[in-house]
Order: sequence, then structure tokens, then C-alpha cells
Amino acid sequence: MNERKRILVVDDEPQITRVLRRSLQTHGYDVRTAADGEAALDVVHDWPPDLVVTDLTMPGMDGIELCRQLRAQTSLPIIILSVKGEEQTKVRALDAGADDYVTKPFGIDELLARIRAALRRAPATLPEAASQLTAGDFCLDQTAHLISLRGSELHLTPKEFELLAHLLQHAGKVLTHRALLAAVWGGDYTEQTEYLRVFVGQLRKKIEADPANPRYILTEPWVGYRFNAEG
Amino acid sequence: MTFARLNSLVREGKLGFWVAVGGLATFTLLLAPFMPGRVNTTTAALALLLLVLLIATRWGSRPAVVASVAAVLYFNYFFLPPVGTFTIADPENWVALFAFLVTALVVGQLSARAKQRAEEAEAGRREIERLYRESQEVFERASQAEALRRSEQLKSALLDAVTHDLRTPLTAIKASATTLLEELRADGEGAFRLSLEDRREMLEVIDEETDRLNGFIGSMVELARLEAGAFILPRRWGDVEEIVAAALQRAERVTQAHRLEVALPPELPLVRADERALAEVVYTLVDNACKYAPAGSRVRISGSVLAVAEQIQVTVEDEGPGIPPELRDKVFDRFFRATPEAKKLRRSGSGLGLAIARGIVEAHGGRIWLEPGAHGRGTRVHFTVPFGADDEVAETGAQ
Repeated sequence: MNERKRILVVDDEPQITRVLRRSLQTHGYDVRTAADGEAALDVVHDWPPDLVVTDLTMPGMDGIELCRQLRAQTSLPIIILSVKGEEQTKVRALDAGADDYVTKPFGIDELLARIRAALRRAPATLPEAASQLTAGDFCLDQTAHLISLRGSELHLTPKEFELLAHLLQHAGKVLTHRALLAAVWGGDYTEQTEYLRVFVGQLRKKIEADPANPRYILTEPWVGYRFNAEG
Repeated sequence: MTFARLNSLVREGKLGFWVAVGGLATFTLLLAPFMPGRVNTTTAALALLLLVLLIATRWGSRPAVVASVAAVLYFNYFFLPPVGTFTIADPENWVALFAFLVTALVVGQLSARAKQRAEEAEAGRREIERLYRESQEVFERASQAEALRRSEQLKSALLDAVTHDLRTPLTAIKASATTLLEELRADGEGAFRLSLEDRREMLEVIDEETDRLNGFIGSMVELARLEAGAFILPRRWGDVEEIVAAALQRAERVTQAHRLEVALPPELPLVRADERALAEVVYTLVDNACKYAPAGSRVRISGSVLAVAEQIQVTVEDEGPGIPPELRDKVFDRFFRATPEAKKLRRSGSGLGLAIARGIVEAHGGRIWLEPGAHGRGTRVHFTVPFGADDEVAETGAQ
């Protein structure tokens, strides 16, 4: 099978890389491991992976710096492994370019599901400049400034449009408050999470069947939001 | 004069004036009947001066002035001839009266001043005492706050370390167990199949990580007991050579890849110690040395006698990467590994080994410290243990 996806697992705990290597291999992935950021960059250079799973606290170059360096050269999906209590570090890693996170200790099925989701959207994220984008139940037309949900056009204010368009373009990815604010409102507004809360609330009223139990715009507690285009 | 009236006089500070006028008058009246036979003029003058002195000492300068004037008048009227008049017949007596007045005033003022000085000194002393007490209280409050702040810091750092040390093995265990479970669930659905070897490795990881968790919890408990001072070290006369040998026997597995060198001088004196605990210290140091120094390098255990201090010093030296100066004290902290730079030095283990070692050494009244090896390469860890004495009562716990 030449279709096997390549995954690079980065963690300084040998027991964790050992288990993940075995487990991911049996699930049909090609796996390499690295014990820190520098080693990971070397592997990426010699053996370009389709996805990177990385720990946050590591000796030498840590997970955040690794995300930053990888983002500077590639758009390959990055999933971070974090321990509860590392919320701030997690947010910084997401801001530095990570796509998703899994909290340790995790069940292997959860990690596999995140890997599948990240790999699925990987090619879609590349042509970001495309004026038309269909993702799940949504259809975005940048030039016409239109978004439709299951065929019917949504009536959105300009800011609501920008926010939903940004969420759509990054469907499946965890977007931090800071990242969303910077993308939609600009760099001066990165601390104004209340703006975001208000607009997310308005969008939910317009697109969710039950705004109290959203299926499209999911809240990632203390971190940000994740857009699920399939609902 | 009623008691209440007297009280109010005392309160107003006027009692002195009453005593000056009334007390002197009473005294004079008592003394006057004995004139001129049994009491002469000089005796009367001295007695009155004594009273002025007492009033000045007790009530201060103004009652003293009043007392002096009253004494002059009484002296003149009752004791200077012609007695019973204010007239003075003999011009010599004018001189005597003047001398008496000046003496009474001077004595009164001097003793009043002395009293004031004494009071001032007393007030000063009280003020100093009060300031001292207050500063003492402030200092105590401040050091309590500082201790609290440090203990909070320690707690949160410890919590981070514990979180990391517990969750890491748990992550490996959970990932292995869920992989195995998933295979069971997906049984028969072709694609996902663990080989026998895969399965064994998953189970091995679960086994090893369970041991690691257990070891970590054991270390935490031991450290907590050491720090709470509840760890009574059973001390006996022990042989350092035996202690080192026991530690090395236990460390056999970890030292296999290294060249082990033991250099203990012959005839080392015995030490009054908990041998098992000291063997634990040596084991921890050797285990660390082998963990951080490359395979094939030398690990040297040496001992020496510090005769003057009546201590034995044991040193474990490795040829590893060494420890940066700023971390040399920190490695003995139990939360040391919580810092990111600490992880650079770490391979595995609970991260509590050196903290426990320090606890044990200090409970023996010794000291443990770290320095770079020969030519600045590698690491040397030294610890000392006092010889101890027979009658010594085992101390309970570290500082």
C-alpha cells in the first residue's frame, strides 16, 4: 500500500512514543518518532510527514517552538498532546499554528479520530484563496459575499460574514479566541473576547437548529471555537 | 479631706502643693514645742530641708519651690529668735535665713530635676521596649507571610511535578489499554490486527508504567515522612564499606554499562547511622550517575575521613554532561523537574531521588552538595556523615 499516511510522533517520554508507534502502525499509518523539537525538524526534512503529533513540554526545543517553526515552512496538520493544567501553553501552541489538541491521558480512539479529522481537511486548507468553498452543509462564495446553509442563503452582517467565512475556511481546526479576533477584527482586538462571544451567539441563532446545543460552532472551553461543517 | 477629694488632688497633680504647705506646717508644729531646749535651730533647719528634698523628689519642681518658701517662713516664725514673730533680731540670722532659702531652693530644684531625668529615662526605656516589641511583631508577621507565600509556591510547583509524573505513565497505560480494548471490540473486522509482539509490547508498557507509578508514589510518601520529621532513623554503628557494597549490589542492573570504580580507604571509622537509608543515598547517586553519563564511561565511588570535623565524606563521580552552575542547588529540590530546563537533564525516574537523599543526609546531621568533576567535566556529588556517638539520641527528620 503506497497510500499509507505518514505520522511523526514527537514526545520525550520513550514509553509514549513506543505505544503510539505500535498503535498507529497497526492502524495503517507509517510512523516515525522524535524525542524533541530539533530531532523532529530533522525528520520532517528527510521524511516529510502528512501529520505531526507533538508533546508540549520537551527538553531543548519545546512543542510551541516546533509548531512555530513547522508553520513557517509548511501547512501540515499538527496535533498537540497536552496535560490538563497546561491550558495557557496549549493556547500558545494553537496560536503558534497547531490545529488541534488531545489531553493526556487519552484513549487511542480519541487520538485516532482527531488524526483522521486533521488528515481529512488537510488538502482543503491549502487553496485558502479560492473564492468558492463548500464544506459540509455550508457553501461560501467570497466574491458574492454569500454563505448558504443547505442551499438557503444566510442573512449576515459584514462582521458575521467574516467570522463565519473564517470558521468555514478552517473547519475542524481549533481556533483560539486570540486567533479569531486577530483574523476578523484585527491585531488590536485580540483581548476583546466579549466581541467574539456576542458574534458567535448571533451566528448560532442564525445557523443552529438549537443555539443552546450548537452542532456547528463548538465551544472549546477556555481555548476558543471549533467549526464542524457537517453539523 | 475626704478620700475622694484626695483622689482628685492626686489626679490634678496638686497634692504636692498641699503637702508642701500642710505637711511642713504639721511637722513644724510637732517640732516647735521642743524649742529651744531639746531641738536647736540647726536641727530644725536640716529637718525642714530634708522635707523639701522629699517633696521635690516626689512631686517635682513647682511644689518644691512652694515647700522652700513655706519652710523659710516656718523656720523664721517658729525657730529663729525671737520665736513667734517674723522679725529677726540678730543680723547673723539674716544670713542663716538667706542661706536656708537658697539651700532649700537649690536642693528642691536639683532633686526635682533628678526625678525628671529618671522619669525621662524610664519613659525612654519603655518606648524602646515598645518599639522592640512592635518591630518583633512586624518581623514575625512578615516572616509568617513569607513562609506562607513560599509554601504556596512550593505547593503549586509540587503539584505541577506530581501532575506531570502521574499523568505521563497514565498516558502510556491508557493508550496501551485502549489499543488492546479496541482490538477486542473490532475483532473480526480484518484491517486492524495487533501482532503477538504488538500485544506483548503494550502489556509490557502497562506493566512497567504501573511499577513506575508505584515507585513514584512510594517516593512521595517517604519524602513526606522525612519532611514531616516523622521518619525516625534507627541508628546503629555501621560500616561505610558495607553500606556502599549494599547499594552497589542493588544497583547492579543499572551499572552494567558503566565502568564502576570503588576507592574507599582501608580502616574507615564506623559511623552511627541508619545503614539502610544511607545505602539508599549511595544507590540514588550511582543510579543518577549511570543514567546521565554515557555507557562505557567511568563511575567512581570514593570515601575519605574528615578527621577534624569527625565526619566521613563519600563522593560519587561521573563523566556525564555535568550540571550547569545555576542548577547545582536546585537538583536537590523535590520539584526540581517541574522546570523546563530540568527536563534536559532527565531521562527517567521519579525526580525525587535527590530530594530524598538530601532528607536522609540532613537527618544524620550531614551535608550533600554537588560540584563539577575533574577538569570541569562530569559531576561529583559529595555527602558527609558525622561519626556520631553512642549516647546520641536519634534525631527525627530533616530540617
